[in-house]
Amino acid sequence: MAVDITLLFRASVKTVKTRNKALGVAVGGGVDGSRDELFRRSPRPKGDFSSRAREVISHIGKLRDFLLEHRKDYINAYSHTMSEYGRMTDTERDQIDQDAQIFMRTCSEAIQQLRTEAHKEIHSQQVKEHRTAVLDFIEDYLKRVCKLYSEQRAIRVKRVVDKKRLSKLEPEPNTKTRESTSSEKVSQSPSKDSEENPATEERPEKILAETQPELGTWGDGKGEDELSPEEIQMEAEIDSIHQLVVGATENIKEGNEDIREAIKNNAGFRVWILFFLVMCSFSLLFLDWYDS
Amino acid sequence: MAAAAAATAAAAASIRERQTVALKRMLNFNVPHIKNSTGEPVWKVLIYDRFGQDIISPLLSVKELRDMGITLHLLLHSDRDPIPDVPAVYFVMPTEENIDRMCQDLRNQLYESYYLNFISAISRSKLEDIANAALAASAVTQVAKVFDQYLNFITLEDDMFVLCNQNKELVSYRAINRPDITDTEMETVMDTIVDSLFCFFVTLGAVPIIRCSRGTAAEMVAVKLDKKLRENLRDARNSLFTGDTLGAGQFSFQRPLLVLVDRNIDLATPLHHTWTYQALVHDVLDFHLNRVNLEESSGVENSPAGARPKRKNKKSYDLTPVDKFWQKHKGSPFPEVAESVQQELESYRAQEDEVKRLKSIMGLEGEDEGAISMLSDNTAKLTSAVSSLPELLEKKRLIDLHTNVATAVLEHIKARKLDVYFEYEEKIMSKTTLDKSLLDIISDPDGTPEDKMRLFLIYYISTQQAPSEADLEQYKKALTDAGCNLNPLQYIKQWKAFTKMASAPASYGSTTTKPMGLLSRVMNTGSQFVMEGVKNLVLKQQNLPVTRILDNLMEMKSNPETDDYRYFDPKMLRGNDSSVPRNKNPFQEAIVFVVGGGNYIEYQNLVDYIKGKQGKHILYGCSELFNATQFIKQLSQLGQK
Repeated sequence: MAVDITLLFRASVKTVKTRNKALGVAVGGGVDGSRDELFRRSPRPKGDFSSRAREVISHIGKLRDFLLEHRKDYINAYSHTMSEYGRMTDTERDQIDQDAQIFMRTCSEAIQQLRTEAHKEIHSQQVKEHRTAVLDFIEDYLKRVCKLYSEQRAIRVKRVVDKKRLSKLEPEPNTKTRESTSSEKVSQSPSKDSEENPATEERPEKILAETQPELGTWGDGKGEDELSPEEIQMEAEIDSIHQLVVGATENIKEGNEDIREAIKNNAGFRVWILFFLVMCSFSLLFLDWYDS
Repeated sequence: MAAAAAATAAAAASIRERQTVALKRMLNFNVPHIKNSTGEPVWKVLIYDRFGQDIISPLLSVKELRDMGITLHLLLHSDRDPIPDVPAVYFVMPTEENIDRMCQDLRNQLYESYYLNFISAISRSKLEDIANAALAASAVTQVAKVFDQYLNFITLEDDMFVLCNQNKELVSYRAINRPDITDTEMETVMDTIVDSLFCFFVTLGAVPIIRCSRGTAAEMVAVKLDKKLRENLRDARNSLFTGDTLGAGQFSFQRPLLVLVDRNIDLATPLHHTWTYQALVHDVLDFHLNRVNLEESSGVENSPAGARPKRKNKKSYDLTPVDKFWQKHKGSPFPEVAESVQQELESYRAQEDEVKRLKSIMGLEGEDEGAISMLSDNTAKLTSAVSSLPELLEKKRLIDLHTNVATAVLEHIKARKLDVYFEYEEKIMSKTTLDKSLLDIISDPDGTPEDKMRLFLIYYISTQQAPSEADLEQYKKALTDAGCNLNPLQYIKQWKAFTKMASAPASYGSTTTKPMGLLSRVMNTGSQFVMEGVKNLVLKQQNLPVTRILDNLMEMKSNPETDDYRYFDPKMLRGNDSSVPRNKNPFQEAIVFVVGGGNYIEYQNLVDYIKGKQGKHILYGCSELFNATQFIKQLSQLGQK
């Protein structure tokens, strides 16, 4: 059992203070002691690293509160016995999903930024280690909150699939399955749900056949939980790659134009040279004939 | 009765758990730790001194420290840079240098806030020193909390603890028994031991009944401990034994028994060659605080002349409570351990094959229509295989670890012929007839001098009558020829003379070993454990002297050896010098503490003894943990005087 001797400590501080006063020893402060403390603290670089880290944490906390607040409604609204008060439309849910994703993306970007900046001006090994560890903690916190989100999503998707499976009939042949599989896979996961709903109306049987194996892997949504922060990253990367590809195509087009121009110029230049040489030789012949 | 059962359960919560919980609470800024999966991260820095390091390292791994939010853990006396905006948790002993260094930290404003935790109680004057420094640095508000943790002991196992590792020369066997010790030095040593024992009982939350033998160092410890406990109990305001910890101690028939014994009761056991896994590892390899350091030579270099020396890789392994194999087999005889490692390896291979098979089945996907229907239940299998992968990897790691350790031990056994010594010593200690004379063994060119010395000392200690002068000379000559130092023998002679005056030398009980002949191959060819020429000896249960004493005291048996043990009960109001125990019931829980040093052989013996009894618990503690090599060194230093 540990014993708290903080009060004892404070009492000793008082004792020492009175003793010093009695002895007339100059204490480092005295009356100005408290003011001195404040003075001493503020000129110290308030560590913008830690204040920004705390900002990120408060953001993530807000996200977590937001998710927890709406969680009940998000999940429960499938039971139709609920009153109107608790219902949530699908658009609202999509909105929540989108907002959450944007939030998560900004948070992870902020963390990345902090990571690159953390090592810039600092020379001490210990401070570097400390900051790396702090960033690891924040990332871990973000992951845990993302897990909340992906659990919710997984439940929702599972319910949609279950509902479709119950209400639809036999599976279609394989060819159409393959089509829908490829088209489904190309679209990104967040928009999967919104696409699924219109798609289901048109091709119910394909969904049934191809979600069966997928459901096995989703099972308890575990795979998705672990993948969503990576999914966000992948999305960002895919976007940037897309941009790069577009830029490269443009460059190539321009390059082709330049080459064509160059070839044309080259051709024109050759014609002129030939003409010049021929004229020179003719003029020589003429002069030769003229002189002889 | 249900309440009593609950009380027993509470009292039986292992000391390791209690210490870990206390440490975690301390790391959580002295607020009880609750796991919250969506809690905000809080970060802090841990500063400890060497004592704190020894206490924390067997209990919490670096990963667990990370989980508690510790970004950096640093030694107090190292160079530390200022890290702004981070709280620092200190876990140090209240010594002069530590306090000076802490005051320096306060002056240099290294951290944002300070949580000071002292391993044992800090004195008022030192507290004022810190207050002074804090005032001078205007950092009084930064010192957020100050605590006395009372954790001044090291827990190695669920039921085993050691007093200290850093300054063990101070409380070693040699320090206590040397002839030139002054009274003040003895007082300091006793105070250190009593302080740690007191911290132990505070953490355990129970006030024991103390019994000790007369006229030994153990008696001095008992007197002081009794006094300290008594003072603390009388001080009703600050008593450490009130509050929720009292639940365990409230029913007087559930109080634990503390048996204080002195090392001098039984000097043969620390010298004994051993045959159980944990004791062997401690005896033969470098094993401290649950960490084994192995030197592995990485193969033989084939080039002849100008050959590079064999590179030795140093590897260290932690043998922790998470390691299930270790927990199961640390008390088993060595051949059993070798067999079990082999079995574990086979079961691991079977599981690995299972996972590989699933992998090949998964490869069929997309080719075969029929495979899609098979998919759903194979996916279930796959998910279970995937989730069991980390378990499998962990198992592999443990198997590797134990293979390495056991191979190293086996090499030592073969090189030093430890099995032969073990068998012989067992025979000596049980007074059965010896098939080979002692002189022959000593004059045998194989075997290290140290092993021979151990053997001879055990013989000398356990014979009823001392060998004649001529015989002794013969032995001495043989020993010196073999290269042994004779100093320990000097000391043992003195000791024997002393104990003869006090009481009859302890007998070791009857025991037989049944050698199963020369086992040529225990394992099949694929393994490394070819135990050729190593006898498969089977241990029969025997009770070492310490175990016997405990048995007598715990079961209230009357025995001339233990009848005149002193009896202390700190809770009794009046004087404590009655040798008549008030309590006639057998005890359910006991703590055996050996003043002067202990070892794993005794620990294992106690564990085996208590396994047979239902519902009883034993904790084993010693002032230091040494193996035979270290003990011989101490004996020879004593013999030199």
